[in-house]
Amino acid sequence: MKRRAFLQGAVGLTVTFAAVASGCRAIPVIPKRPAPSAEDALGWLRHHDGKYELFVPRAEMGQQIGIALRRIAAVELGVSADRIRLRAPSSQDIERVKATVGSDSVKDFALPLAQACATLRDALAEGRTEGEIRVVERPLKQLLSMRADATANLLVVRDDLLAIVSGAPLFAADMRLPGMVYGRVLRAPVSPELGSRPVDWNDAAARRVVGFVAVVQEHNLRHANSVGLGILASTPGALDRIEQALSVRWHVDGKFEPREIDDAIDIDRHLAGGDLRHAVRDDDLDATGAWSIDLRFDVPLAAHGGIEPRAALAHFTATPTGRPRLQLFTGTQDLFYVRDVLARTLALDADDVSVQACRLGGGFGARTLALVEVEAALLARAIDRPVKLVWTRAQEFRQGFHRPPSSHRVRARIVEGRIVDWWHALVSSHILFTPAAMPLWIQRLVDIAGDQGVARGAALPYDVPRQRIAFDAVRLPVHGGPWRGLGTAPNAFVVESAIDACAVVAGSDALQFRLAMTKDVRLTAVLRGVADDAGWNAQRSEQPPSGPRRGRGLACGVYKGGSRVAVVADVEVSASGDARVVTLWCAHDCGLVVDPDGVRAQIEGCLVWCVGMVLVEALPLQTSGIAATGFAESPVPRISSLPRIEVRLLSSNATPTGAGESAMTAGAAAIANALFDATGYRASRLPARPEELARSDH
Amino acid sequence: MRLFVNNVWHEITAPWLDESLLWVLREALGLTGCKYGCGQGQCGACTVLVDDEPQRACLLPAQAVAGRRITTIEGLSLNGSLNPVQQAWIDESVPQCGFCQAGQIVAATALLQRTAQPDAAEIDAALEGHLCRCGTQPRVRRAIERAAVMFQRGTSS
Repeated sequence: MKRRAFLQGAVGLTVTFAAVASGCRAIPVIPKRPAPSAEDALGWLRHHDGKYELFVPRAEMGQQIGIALRRIAAVELGVSADRIRLRAPSSQDIERVKATVGSDSVKDFALPLAQACATLRDALAEGRTEGEIRVVERPLKQLLSMRADATANLLVVRDDLLAIVSGAPLFAADMRLPGMVYGRVLRAPVSPELGSRPVDWNDAAARRVVGFVAVVQEHNLRHANSVGLGILASTPGALDRIEQALSVRWHVDGKFEPREIDDAIDIDRHLAGGDLRHAVRDDDLDATGAWSIDLRFDVPLAAHGGIEPRAALAHFTATPTGRPRLQLFTGTQDLFYVRDVLARTLALDADDVSVQACRLGGGFGARTLALVEVEAALLARAIDRPVKLVWTRAQEFRQGFHRPPSSHRVRARIVEGRIVDWWHALVSSHILFTPAAMPLWIQRLVDIAGDQGVARGAALPYDVPRQRIAFDAVRLPVHGGPWRGLGTAPNAFVVESAIDACAVVAGSDALQFRLAMTKDVRLTAVLRGVADDAGWNAQRSEQPPSGPRRGRGLACGVYKGGSRVAVVADVEVSASGDARVVTLWCAHDCGLVVDPDGVRAQIEGCLVWCVGMVLVEALPLQTSGIAATGFAESPVPRISSLPRIEVRLLSSNATPTGAGESAMTAGAAAIANALFDATGYRASRLPARPEELARSDH
Repeated sequence: MRLFVNNVWHEITAPWLDESLLWVLREALGLTGCKYGCGQGQCGACTVLVDDEPQRACLLPAQAVAGRRITTIEGLSLNGSLNPVQQAWIDESVPQCGFCQAGQIVAATALLQRTAQPDAAEIDAALEGHLCRCGTQPRVRRAIERAAVMFQRGTSS
């Protein structure tokens, strides 16, 4: 408290903190991932006078999960959906829940919520309105909401949509508090993996900027190995002018060139050095004989590209006993991890930290760590006023983490039209144990078993007798981390591109080739479904005599052992190699569908991501870091480049599985296979380059 | 400096005089519907109407539009009912995360004021500079087509 008292008069001054130990910093905070119980779910519900509140235990980031859970609650409680008010919780409203990741929200949260609602309904029916109730779990078939179409046909007023289209404040940066100032943490313009710190800066020039409030030196303004310098201003625009006036000189330890990253994951160098450390499957197979296909694929570093930059508003008050209490607004995928990191970093009791969930302007894995939140809280403590801190777009690229690059080799042997041997080797960087949050020594422990995020989506959805699927992760000087579906999109792109190549070698139709290799009834159904919708014909039509070359491709996949997806893509490629996806058809089976429109929207979103992945996305590097400062250098797909999308949901009574990432298993390869069909060029390095697609000598 | 926003005059004083229109709208006036997405005019999330023309508020000094007629997303439904574009957006369930949507709706409204029945190419051209990472673009197209029909009915009745 002494420090804060000292700081009360600090406006316009430079604030310096001596380095003090705060908590045990050697071991990072590890996200806890408890599965929710029905008892937990009771804690998400409030009831008074026939009205209900549901604290949505999942981050709302576009998947409309509140709507899905509200449907379940309405059916199970036996009330109309408009009597259930949705609320975004703070970390003090509900018990700890795990991060909103991995398309688990309906799969893991629907059933506990249904059980809790059924218990509450029965208790109210018995006239109980006070005292504690305990969940009595009942068999699945007694839960009304778990029956086919019970929730899907329910009419739900979309008040969330009304709020969005009328511009209501929903996001962290929309929050405002009296006396609020604006903060930014300046960092060396290099990867936070390199050690860096401010050396000197022009304090006097900064003070002359209208709106200057303070410069904050704080040893805790550290992200990975980057130590930053805080600035505070009375308007957001003044932050830019202060940053310019300060012209901070940085010390940076070491440097790296983009080439070193390519070399570090180069699959052929790794294979030349021996086997990779981890295996999804490790059958005995002849590794030296001739192969029917032997292909290399490289997938680049790519950004999440959510349109909302990370933002937080932090505010210190005091508890009744005078302890500092932190209230922080943020859009995060992991409310309780953020709370734990804040408590640790600021040496606060976790109960004295209240993190209020706000809607996320896109999650996609980017909001799984605590980055902007720590910066906002530290600056708010330093100045003892509410601080709003919004990352600039350049900070998003340079200080965030990204989809790590990966390098793959796939070899397959085909006998009598079937794949008998399959060897897929890939090297990437850590994903679940991202270097953005985990020191090297933790990664070394993880590397005993392997980072499973890297391997996701590498398993074959086919019956192939001998398979070797091996992977490894290398710590890179740029930070990779969770990105929609983790390794799924790169791995499935590679797998299904290679399967397409196998079908070509076998002289088989891409659909029949796949159908012949699977006995999975649901995978077969989505394949046949999408083929029907697209009018798939084994007999390919001739290219038109003039105009763009046309192509059609197919791919399918199984996401996390649950949802089945198949996609057909139609593309056109101009003589100059400009490719356009004309139509995407998708058939999707995620078991019981709670919110059909929400599922469709997620599939559409994944397919748009797949268009971007194949045709436009790569995050450029320069010496020692990311070269992009805006969307000009790190593009995402634009409306004119996007296809017509036709989605068919195959409804079933199977237990619900995910939909938020599932179509990442099939979209990219379907597009790449269509490009091959049109041009004879197999996109082996993403994004596909026009100069390769333009060639006619493939 | 005086700004005329959503049919209301606002006196803007220090320290906001040198700020962009976006920061004045969001932080000084509390009209947070327009968003900061990139600050470089590349994403379209900050789009507002200045004399009915869509403009990037992040690149506009507030001083440059003093006295001009500024309309934000909050001003599209001032009389309490949604405009046809907003209604079409709900009818087609366009938003996912919702962050870019205000800019898209404002741009679509400007398009339909200019071109009552836009064709597909005109829709794409008007929305090309509006990035959406959730992938709502196919629904954006449908919503604009629907709103065009609603606008037509509205003007003919």
